[in-house]
Amino acid sequence: MAFLKIDDVVKRYGDHLVIDRVSLSAEKGEFVVFVGPSGCGKSTLLRMIAGLEEVTDGNISIDGHLVTHVEPAARQVAMVFQSYALYPHMSVKENMAFGLVMAKTPKPEIEKRVANAARILQIEQLLDRKPRQLSGGQRQRVAIGRAIVRDPKLFLFDEPLSNLDAELRSQMRVEIARLHRDLGVTMVYVTHDQIEAMTLADRIVVLRAGKVEQIGTPTDLYERPANTFVAGFIGSPKMNFLEATVTDGTDHTLTLSHPAFVGGAATIPTHAAPRVSRGGKVRAGLRPEHMALGGGQGGTALSLAGEFAENLGGASQVYAQTPDGDTLTILAPGRHVIDKGVPLTVAIDPARVYLFDDAGRAI
Amino acid sequence: MSMRFGRVIHFVGLILVLAFTLFPFFWMVTSSLKDQSDLLASPPVWLFTPTLDHYREIFEDPKIISSVMHSLIIATSTTLLAIVLGAPAAYALARFEFRGKSDLWFWFISNRMISPIVLALPVYLLAQTLGLLDTHLVLILIYLTFNLPIVVWICTDQFRSIPSELEQAARLDGASQFLIFWRIYLPLGVPGIAVSAIFSFIFSWNELLYALVLTRRAVQTAPVAATSFMSGYELPWGKIMATGTVIVLPVTIFALLVSRHMVRGLTMGATK
Ligand SMILES: Nc1ncnc2c1ncn2[C@@H]1O[C@H](COP(=O)(O)OP(=O)(O)O)[C@@H](O)[C@H]1O
Ligand SMILES: [Mg+2]
Repeated sequence: MAFLKIDDVVKRYGDHLVIDRVSLSAEKGEFVVFVGPSGCGKSTLLRMIAGLEEVTDGNISIDGHLVTHVEPAARQVAMVFQSYALYPHMSVKENMAFGLVMAKTPKPEIEKRVANAARILQIEQLLDRKPRQLSGGQRQRVAIGRAIVRDPKLFLFDEPLSNLDAELRSQMRVEIARLHRDLGVTMVYVTHDQIEAMTLADRIVVLRAGKVEQIGTPTDLYERPANTFVAGFIGSPKMNFLEATVTDGTDHTLTLSHPAFVGGAATIPTHAAPRVSRGGKVRAGLRPEHMALGGGQGGTALSLAGEFAENLGGASQVYAQTPDGDTLTILAPGRHVIDKGVPLTVAIDPARVYLFDDAGRAI
Repeated sequence: MSMRFGRVIHFVGLILVLAFTLFPFFWMVTSSLKDQSDLLASPPVWLFTPTLDHYREIFEDPKIISSVMHSLIIATSTTLLAIVLGAPAAYALARFEFRGKSDLWFWFISNRMISPIVLALPVYLLAQTLGLLDTHLVLILIYLTFNLPIVVWICTDQFRSIPSELEQAARLDGASQFLIFWRIYLPLGVPGIAVSAIFSFIFSWNELLYALVLTRRAVQTAPVAATSFMSGYELPWGKIMATGTVIVLPVTIFALLVSRHMVRGLTMGATK
């Protein structure tokens, strides 16, 4: 039985449907990430798991107990807020101990647990400070420490790193991953940042406009996106799409025509033929990292017009135009100077072309 | 250049405001130290030999001391009650949704729209019927009626400024509704509570109309005592001024003590 189970959950604010029949589950010890654009309902879903938001319809259970209408504190979950929400008038130590004091934990036990959490998070020297005397990263640690001391069944994180600068963010990302490994506890983590999702998650739940678009491991989502939304959301830089026409098909290939293909057509290995009709439209997805400047002999390639290149240091992000005016992104190793309008041949691997139907569903 | 000019204007403005507000004060205190001939001198004398005669006179008059005591009892009780009743009400208004909330809110404000004198007669009759005339309780009750709206108003505003995530974090930490109020909102609401306590105390300390209407001899507050000297054929200016100075002292001390808590930024560090 799943440790966390969300069953057909709906949330409405008045007439505004924010979560639309979402179902998902998480195993004990799993790290689940909710990802999606801002406003898609990630926080709302997380807050319903915490019990801070009432569920309009559906059920939530944690560790075999139905908690849909159970008080937050009785759910034994801990949450790290986006804003940290530290008690400003209490010291770091008091902040971390507050939940234990509320639970009438014996004093020596509180001391022990706070000391232990402080050691794990390396904030031992900050215990007597007030939140206002801490840096953003330190406040973040205290907020996590407050969650740890209560030894919850479930950790909930709402965009915990979004207020930190880039360097601190990647450092804390590593620490949260380490914390998950060391504590072995179930975590649900909300972010709009697909890199955080990819690096932290055992499983990712992609949300859009209150609906689940796809649930899967990071590799699943990267290799087998269910639709163009997920394909575009996972991976950086974003996947390129070409609007192509099906000209021919066999049991294990499809031939597509598009003015950008060298020779006007390309043959893609796929078993999708029965699901498309000759003359029909498909969207071909190409990941920037699967494209190479200067196509080899006889391989499948695109013929493009260069626009410009961004130097990333060890690699470049090259922008080039198709004959029908779409701009594609290519991730190329090394540094490149691209003059506007210069013809570019770009090799692609036909086996790494993603195919979607007219409605954007993977085929 | 223009910066400096701006600063000068600022400074001069400040001096003018201070002079305007502090001059009556200065006049009261100096007059209380003048003897009768200096007091009535025209034009007024600025340099004089101070005397404590008026103070000796009023401290020998048991009426003054007891009136200050009555005022202390009434103002302190009113202020305490107003905070004890007003702060939880403000918390409810700031954080809960319930039916009639906006009506209740308007009712609190509308209480202050009525001119006090309009209610003087009904309140007098009510107090008479209840047998409360000339008691501490009647003034405490009526001052509470006037002060509660201010306390609720200021504290509601203060509590609304506290990030609601703090309340949610406390709920997850297992704090009951009361403990959330007690351990989070009350300590973080101290600036608002301090401001409303000062307002409440000053109002109760200085109020004259209802004190005159509702009390006789048993409970005479300080402002009533001060004005009672004016009833005869002569005006003992020195005594009135000395009484005024004595009356102003406790409320000033109270305001100075409490104002230390009127700091901004108590919630700093909670978020971001
Ligand atoms: N208390 C509320 N009342 C009305 N609408 C809300 C409330 N909270 C959130 N919403 C709406 O619900 C949607 C999802 O919000 P949220 O879960 O915060 O999104 P996310 O965390 O994915 O950015 C948004 O459109 C937001 O405007
Ligand atoms: Mg959010």
